[in-house]
Amino acid sequence: MDQRPDTIKIGREFLSARLKRGHNQTVNKSGISIRYKILFLLTSIPLLTLAIYLVLAVKIFEDDKIAYVFDSSSSMSGSIAAQMKTQLNSVLSITRPIFQDFLLEQKFTSVGDLIFKNEFNVESISAYTVSSLGDFKEVAVLEKEVGGTSKLTNAFKVLFDDYLKKANKDGRLVAVPFQDDRVFLFEKVSDEKTQRVTIFLVQIKMSELAETFNTVTSRKIYLINSDGTVLFGPEQVSGKKMQSFMKPSFLARSMDKIVQGVEGVRMADGTELLASFSRVGFGDLTVVSSVRKKSALSAVQILIRKSLIFFGILISVTVIVSLFASNGLTQALTDLFIATKKVSEGNFDIRVKVSSRDEVGSLANNFNIMALEVSRLLEQTAEKARMESELQTAKTVQETLFPETLAKIGGLAISGYYEPASECGGDWWHYCQVGSKMFLWIGDATGHGAPAALITSAAKSASTIIETLNVSPAKAMELLNRSIYDVSKGRIMMTFFLASFDFGTGELIYSNASHEAPLVLRKSDIPLTKNDLIPLNEVNNPRLGQSRDSVYQETQMTLGSGDLIFFYTDGVTDIQDPKKKSWGERAFIKALIAASKDNASAAETVAIFTASLQGHRGGATLIDDVTFFVVKNEGLG
Amino acid sequence: MGKFDIKLVKDKDRTTLQLVGVIDEDVDFNKFNLSGYPSLEIDLSLVKGINSCGIREWIKWIRTAGDAPITYVNCAKLIVDQINMVDGFLPATGKVRSFYVPYYSDKNGTEKSILFQYGTEFSENGLRPPDSVLDADGSPMEMDVIEAKYFKFISKK
Repeated sequence: MDQRPDTIKIGREFLSARLKRGHNQTVNKSGISIRYKILFLLTSIPLLTLAIYLVLAVKIFEDDKIAYVFDSSSSMSGSIAAQMKTQLNSVLSITRPIFQDFLLEQKFTSVGDLIFKNEFNVESISAYTVSSLGDFKEVAVLEKEVGGTSKLTNAFKVLFDDYLKKANKDGRLVAVPFQDDRVFLFEKVSDEKTQRVTIFLVQIKMSELAETFNTVTSRKIYLINSDGTVLFGPEQVSGKKMQSFMKPSFLARSMDKIVQGVEGVRMADGTELLASFSRVGFGDLTVVSSVRKKSALSAVQILIRKSLIFFGILISVTVIVSLFASNGLTQALTDLFIATKKVSEGNFDIRVKVSSRDEVGSLANNFNIMALEVSRLLEQTAEKARMESELQTAKTVQETLFPETLAKIGGLAISGYYEPASECGGDWWHYCQVGSKMFLWIGDATGHGAPAALITSAAKSASTIIETLNVSPAKAMELLNRSIYDVSKGRIMMTFFLASFDFGTGELIYSNASHEAPLVLRKSDIPLTKNDLIPLNEVNNPRLGQSRDSVYQETQMTLGSGDLIFFYTDGVTDIQDPKKKSWGERAFIKALIAASKDNASAAETVAIFTASLQGHRGGATLIDDVTFFVVKNEGLG
Repeated sequence: MGKFDIKLVKDKDRTTLQLVGVIDEDVDFNKFNLSGYPSLEIDLSLVKGINSCGIREWIKWIRTAGDAPITYVNCAKLIVDQINMVDGFLPATGKVRSFYVPYYSDKNGTEKSILFQYGTEFSENGLRPPDSVLDADGSPMEMDVIEAKYFKFISKK
């Protein structure tokens, strides 16, 4: 009955259980999926690159923008300063003849009045003298509106005196006392002949210029004097000290010779400004231009914003593409992962789909080959286990074919040794008493292993029947031959030697089917030599199983008391040492003579001979089955 | 396998087969059918080994020669052992013309094989071994066989 499927199933279950045990012993560490790792890699690299690019680009763009703002702001303040200087110098160039006329006449003449009236921007011209005590006294006035100058000066009397003092000290002063378009230009003029000092106040209306400073844009323009007072500027700060809302460093350096510059300024509320200044070159006037840094760099913010939007889109596209790409890549790996997991659980029939020709495809293909190979090996292992099991059973059964290795029947002592080259052997020996005779059997089937063992089984079965027939060895051999032939159909043969020993007469009758001739060692008081050994080779016929009709002869001899017969198979002389050197006939004979000397018993002879044999063998593997037994006539013959 | 080979040497009036190697179950004798030869001479000096399966194949093969006389020459000891032991190894039409006899010197452990020729050292009438065989030192050597067993085939023919 074919038990292979069941055996394979058992083998699979066994291996599966082992794998599961190993599987359970291994901690299944689940980390981040390789898909997400690829996704992270594919998105993080462009993200990082773009972020670095953005930082660098923003930095460069910001620096460039600041430089541009500084440059344009500086140009604007310089331009306004130049315009103002031109206008104020123009006023002076117009009014200077009036001053000269006054110094000559100590009053404004009709000439001066004529010039004055032709200048629409000049509202009034007043002349002040300075006493030795430093007091100022208005001594003459030209005005478009009669009494208008006195009204104005009286409106800021204290401040006016300060203006005069400062103009007297510095020689020139520009003031805008009413935070409108009226500009007060104080000019100190000294008469070289009389050493008399006169301070002229020219009241000018500079509407266009005032408008320039009062425009509502992100850029703010201020006209300040040396103490930081804002003369022109946005309405809310005119007349205030610039230091009250911003503190550019150049205010502290009003006396230095730097006529134009730029700097970053922080306002009181923390707002950062980009400021530039340009000295007007007329009096202590300075034009200051400022712009909020945030406003100036609004383009940078736009750049950042748009870049972030672009980056967002790019990253989104990258993520989507990466998802598709990683999905394609990791799907095969996921399939492999699932497949290997199933293998670890004992399912060896799992296969994965090979959908690409790249390394992953090769991996999948190799996995399939490996799984197939594992399945094949598994089946082989199961088959081998089955065969080993069957061989073990056969060995157990075959062991029952052999007799007790030590026996004494009548006066005949028997001792034997058998060792197969593999689980089952092709050698067989046996003894049995039939009436007053002891039958002694030894045979060696062609080859060794299970097929040869089956023939020995057939021989044993046949012998069991033959024993009951009370026939001679030759006849028994013929029956045995037919039995072997019928079983093996000539494919396996067996050398055989069969002898019968008559307890009463000591007569030994034997028949040989091409087996190693047993050796008779006669009882002797002196040591035997090899030529004292008597081979039982007087008759010899074909091997059992060679031909169904083989005829066997027999002959006889007498076995005296103390005589010994050594039966053996050719595996004895062929036994090899670990270096593959055969024991050989010479060593065999020496060992046999040595083992039997001093009238050793059958058991002693076998024991000593076995020791010699194993000594040569040295633990080497047998190349053939080894069988021998000793029969010794101990007295009745 | 390369471990066994048969060389065919045809002379004017005789065919000689020289066998080289180990005769076992792997030997395929079918390539050398012996039928049709009027007589055969088989040189067995270079046979290095033979096992029970090889003997089975040998006997089947040698039977293909039919009734043609077969002569074994230069038989190594292992061949002589088989001739003595296995009925049919030397067919009924066969005879041994020469074979080696191992000699051994107990004194110094040297071995030597002496070729015994039909008509000189042996014949149907019995054995006529050399009076003495000496080793390299001039010491006498003795036959390294059980004579009653090794020369048994001579008396059979």
